[in-house]
Amino acid sequence: MIKNLWKYRNLVKRLAFSDFKVRYKNSVLGFFWSLLEPLLMLLVLYIVFADIFPSTQENFHLFLLLGIALWDFFAKGTSMGLHAILSKPGMVRQVYIPREILIFSSSLTALMMAVLELVVFGIFMAISGLMPTSTIIYLPLIFIIIFILVFGFSLALGALNTYYRDVQYIWAVILQAGFFASGVFIDFSAYDADLKRTLLLNPMARILLISRDCVLYNKAVSTQDLTFCLVSALVILLVGYFIFSKLEPGFAEEV
Amino acid sequence: MDIIVAKNIWKNYKIPYEKRNTLFETLYGLLDTKMGYESFTALKDINFTVKKGEWLGVIGHNGSGKSTLLKIIAKTIRPTKGNITVNGKITSFLELGIGFQPDLTAKENIKIYGAIMGLSNTEIEKRIDGILEFGGLIRFKDTKIKNFSSGMIVRLAFSTAVQIEPEILLLDEVLAVGDLDFQKKCFEVFDRYREMDKTVVYVSHDLSTVQRFCDKVLLLNHGEQIGIGSPEEMISLYQSIV
Repeated sequence: MIKNLWKYRNLVKRLAFSDFKVRYKNSVLGFFWSLLEPLLMLLVLYIVFADIFPSTQENFHLFLLLGIALWDFFAKGTSMGLHAILSKPGMVRQVYIPREILIFSSSLTALMMAVLELVVFGIFMAISGLMPTSTIIYLPLIFIIIFILVFGFSLALGALNTYYRDVQYIWAVILQAGFFASGVFIDFSAYDADLKRTLLLNPMARILLISRDCVLYNKAVSTQDLTFCLVSALVILLVGYFIFSKLEPGFAEEV
Repeated sequence: MDIIVAKNIWKNYKIPYEKRNTLFETLYGLLDTKMGYESFTALKDINFTVKKGEWLGVIGHNGSGKSTLLKIIAKTIRPTKGNITVNGKITSFLELGIGFQPDLTAKENIKIYGAIMGLSNTEIEKRIDGILEFGGLIRFKDTKIKNFSSGMIVRLAFSTAVQIEPEILLLDEVLAVGDLDFQKKCFEVFDRYREMDKTVVYVSHDLSTVQRFCDKVLLLNHGEQIGIGSPEEMISLYQSIV
């Protein structure tokens, strides 16, 4: 698979960029949508948790915004991956390319969008007068881990959705649940040990926790946490690739 | 040198009585013990080789498996049984298209196709004008494909496919869609490809062009290989089984 991705790197790049462009070209506000969307989400959550259920979290708006940005990367990335095969029927039926390219380039598009959101977050952080500390060096690593997760899930979902069109609805429900279970607006570190351990089995919950620690609270990330996230992402990638390669031969007949 | 070698190619399709396209339907279907599909054999034991520079024509009735065979050579679908080896870069012109995306402009689509064929950016840039000119579409280079007429899409696809100059070209009914002017251009390309020693698999119902360009012809009938041989022989055999 890696060999194929490398061999077609030029195509991967083009597909990722053209998808990125298409996403924003067709709307009036263009790519500002990608910035506006998380901000509106922030506004809603902020009103709820700052005014209605006050949170004691330090810099709660940044806590929220970082959570939203990283969760968006995962949620949008996997949803885009889910449609990556079906949305390009011509590239499946009329030409032959290794199909993992379509999935990989959709994950790359999601990565580009996530970087944009991160820039917005950075601006907010600067406005709030909070300077990142040296622990921020963990953030690129965390991005890589989320990217692996997105790619792994996308391989499985993109392939499954080609055969079973209702996978997209099932996944939408799972994402909805994941939004709550990953603590986008909740700080799990305050929970008692047992509950926390269970909640943190979800790699996205752990990723949000450690990224807040290193970006906002100047805490180094433990090797144990990083290893857990990386290994679970790699396991998902392997399982995803297995499902994908089982289903891939029939794509042209199912699209 | 053998460019395409097909050995004992079989292709079975399962045609479900009711198409199950969702997980729920599939789960429900597991409870249903009746066999939910009938088997359809699109290709039965096809064998042939194509040498470098050779033109293989494929003829037969509608539904005889011509397009399926072409897709198997192009690798977009896999044979149920058998082996196909292809030595060289293929451009395939299947279902009248080469994988264009409707939301992108003509130029962007050409660039993506160039990337699929492994061309570098500068090589692609060099060819873009030639491709658009050949298709008579210079004015529309920044128009999205979805706003093209079907004739324009086919013209663009065909000119992209041939201007990229692949080693192997698979053509499925190109002539049926163009006007006389376009057909003339096609013939010019065909002549050029003959001179350049390109390998071509040509599927068509237009027997006169098959006769004119192909070195040998494969005749299919209901998925079976009736014969492979000289164009004259196969065309008269085809006409006798009509």
